[in-house]
Amino acid sequence: MFTRLLAMALLLAGAGSLAPPLTATASDRLVVYSGRKEKAIKPVVEAFTKQTGLPVDLKGGKTSGLANEIRMEKANPRGDLFISTEGGIMEILAGDGLLDPYRSPATNAVPDHFKSATGSWTGISGRARVILYNKNLVIEKEAPKSVFELTDPKWKGKLAIAGTRERTSLAWVSALVAVKGEAFTRDYIKALLANGLKILSDNTEVWQGVGRGEFAVGLTNSPNYYLAKKMGLPVGVVYPDQGPDGIGTPINANAVAVIKGAKNPQGARKFIDFILSPEGQRILVTADYEIPLLPDIDPGEVLPAKSIKQPPVTEQRLAALAEPTLKLLTALSPDW
Amino acid sequence: MKEAPTIAFPGTLPAAPPSGWIAKAGVIGLLAAVGLLVLPPLVHLTATAVRLETVGSVSGPSLALLAGKSLSLAGLSTLWAMALALPLAWLVVRTDLPFRNVGRWLAVIPLAIPSYIGALTYITLLGPVGVVNTWLGGWTGMPHQWVNIYGFWGGVFILGLFTYPYIFLLVCGALDTTNPAIEESARTLGENSLGVFRRVTLPMLRPSILAGGLLAFLYALSDFGSLSLLRVHVFTTEIYHQLNTRFDQSAAALLSFVLVLMTLGVLVGQRTLLGRRSYVTVTGTARVARPVSLGRWRWPASALAGGILGLSVFLPLGVLIAQAGSARQFAEVVRDQWGFFRNSLWTAGLAATLAMVLGLLIGYAALRARGRVGAGLSGTVQIGYAIPGTVLGLSLILLYNTYLPWLYGTVGVLVLAYLIRFLTQSVQGVEAALGGINPHLEEAARSLAASPGTVLRRILAPLLRPTLFAVWALVFISAMKELDATLLLRPAGFDTLPVRIYIHTVEAEYAKAAVLSLILITLTALPWLVMTRLREKKIL
Repeated sequence: MFTRLLAMALLLAGAGSLAPPLTATASDRLVVYSGRKEKAIKPVVEAFTKQTGLPVDLKGGKTSGLANEIRMEKANPRGDLFISTEGGIMEILAGDGLLDPYRSPATNAVPDHFKSATGSWTGISGRARVILYNKNLVIEKEAPKSVFELTDPKWKGKLAIAGTRERTSLAWVSALVAVKGEAFTRDYIKALLANGLKILSDNTEVWQGVGRGEFAVGLTNSPNYYLAKKMGLPVGVVYPDQGPDGIGTPINANAVAVIKGAKNPQGARKFIDFILSPEGQRILVTADYEIPLLPDIDPGEVLPAKSIKQPPVTEQRLAALAEPTLKLLTALSPDW
Repeated sequence: MKEAPTIAFPGTLPAAPPSGWIAKAGVIGLLAAVGLLVLPPLVHLTATAVRLETVGSVSGPSLALLAGKSLSLAGLSTLWAMALALPLAWLVVRTDLPFRNVGRWLAVIPLAIPSYIGALTYITLLGPVGVVNTWLGGWTGMPHQWVNIYGFWGGVFILGLFTYPYIFLLVCGALDTTNPAIEESARTLGENSLGVFRRVTLPMLRPSILAGGLLAFLYALSDFGSLSLLRVHVFTTEIYHQLNTRFDQSAAALLSFVLVLMTLGVLVGQRTLLGRRSYVTVTGTARVARPVSLGRWRWPASALAGGILGLSVFLPLGVLIAQAGSARQFAEVVRDQWGFFRNSLWTAGLAATLAMVLGLLIGYAALRARGRVGAGLSGTVQIGYAIPGTVLGLSLILLYNTYLPWLYGTVGVLVLAYLIRFLTQSVQGVEAALGGINPHLEEAARSLAASPGTVLRRILAPLLRPTLFAVWALVFISAMKELDATLLLRPAGFDTLPVRIYIHTVEAEYAKAAVLSLILITLTALPWLVMTRLREKKIL
């Protein structure tokens, strides 16, 4: 009986091992670590493979988690290319010597603050920081026009933001620190928390929560407004602090870089060329309502970068501020 | 059915002496293999945790608070799981409950529903803007938050609801194999039904209840997905948070280290609890018990069983089916993602098979090898379960990429991670069941010149057959659901079903997530159904 059992077990195991064993990837494939949504990046990957014939293995995850993985794998890198949701983290990786600089010809047209000064990374598209509100709970006229209005008691218990697991939340606070100073930012965040700001685990929870009416107002990224609208949720959007005295709202660049020690650096560079080409840009921008960074790409229904007033903060500054900002935030609430 | 004479006696067991150097070498070999599997991540974790200069970011009081919260959440959810599992197990095994065979099969399904999916379905139902609140608000005309699944009690509710099958399974197995003649004797000796249950059945079930309870407790302690969704702050969510917000991992390592210490404390406690008494059935054949007639309790009992199954099976499945959309969409998702099903199935199947074989060997060696070696063996295996998946994943990246680069980046490392995490489920099950088999049975065989291999194959394996199937299914189910370590360790392009569900959930593609969840649940539950049917027909 036991023999029969064992035979069955081995049979099962054997049937399993007939499946193609995935061995360490050789240089005839491209391994992409992507912190971007799969929905946003997969169409570009598919178009790339179709054009170049180079198959891509995509490993999706959260930007910080994947960056950690790249650090862990330093001795024997497994990924060829890294796509992040923010430039600051690229600066940190570049500072640790984990990126292999590459300047694609198209990089020249990318505005300076959306690319590395040393060529370590390049911005491929952007997302603006916005205020999202539920139209059933807030009438358009009364929607907050500035992030600093959110400390008003009328928003008490109605606010949501994603914690710092979303790099874009961290970058937003870092930008505030850069423009308004640390003391001001600390008081502001303290006031938001006292006003019942709810810190959620990711941006999806924020826009879903606002869309479904759990929260009246949320701080999130611009594509989420279009996504919520497409799902038929009653949402409105405000690009905050755009007035003449306003500090503007940051645009976070989604960025791409070749990983140092990549098994297929040639393929990785080819991918960067492709994603910055008009075709790659068109697919990338339309797939998830992102803001084009290159001047001559049609933004479609999305508000273009040139109509958004931004605070004058460089990614290098954001990278340097990341750790102090994190300390500032976690001292105020462990939920960050 | 042949009646075999049976004797039950509480008391200490004379352990059968391991025969000869082959057995000893076998035990040492097993110990070495298990040690090499489990200890490097632990050592790595400890080494990272004790670099004290960075401990400042985690304060003592906040650590104590977190520990208190994690432990009470795990404890309460385990009690809730026991309250669900025990009556249900007794009803489907020992009574004439209507549809009890269907009930017995259905009661295992919650195990196939990953707790993060369970949590998602209950957020849809009981969230602040969930179905129930919306409906109650409309009905009473007062938009008000009547129920709120978010928070500590929601976590207790969800974890108990989706872990009770751990206890249910082992208790059912024990009820199957404990000899009903003992209970019948007690009844003839004048005990009433309650007395029989309390003084005879319950003590015999104790090892299984504790083993199952331990699995539920450790699951709750190490669960990340559902608690994160339910916005509960415990050790695992804090560890994940640290790992995903900062590059300095010593705070995460320190938290993980404390979590592992807590788990080890629980394991030692369980050994002390279990070690005090043991019950042994001498006979080789367990007779099937005559079902207890429920009489006028038939309908209340059915309502209870139906209620438990409703909350843990029908409601979540109903929500998923409602979310999954049309049959055409369903078919599209299946067509697009077929490869991922295969990935999940064969990695989990391979891990379960290895865990079953290893579990049998380790369980046997641990129980029959005397004293500390045995305890060390199964204790070492348990450490693996104590390391949170995300932490294990990160340690393995560093260790295997550095020392075994040919293995890292292949699927092998996933299977190893599953083994490290879930081998203990198999060892625990085998040990609990072996505890009920008297060593005299083996000694008799050995005195007739049977080798240890023959004993294992001819006597123990057949007696353990139901248990072996149960542990295979347990490990298979756990591996099919595993998300935390898989997210980190999967080779690029090799997604499994839980990874796909995670990705679609994060990207708010709930219909796709629901379709894949339904498929994951079906694929996980199917082997269980097949095994149960075969066992009922006495084919296995």
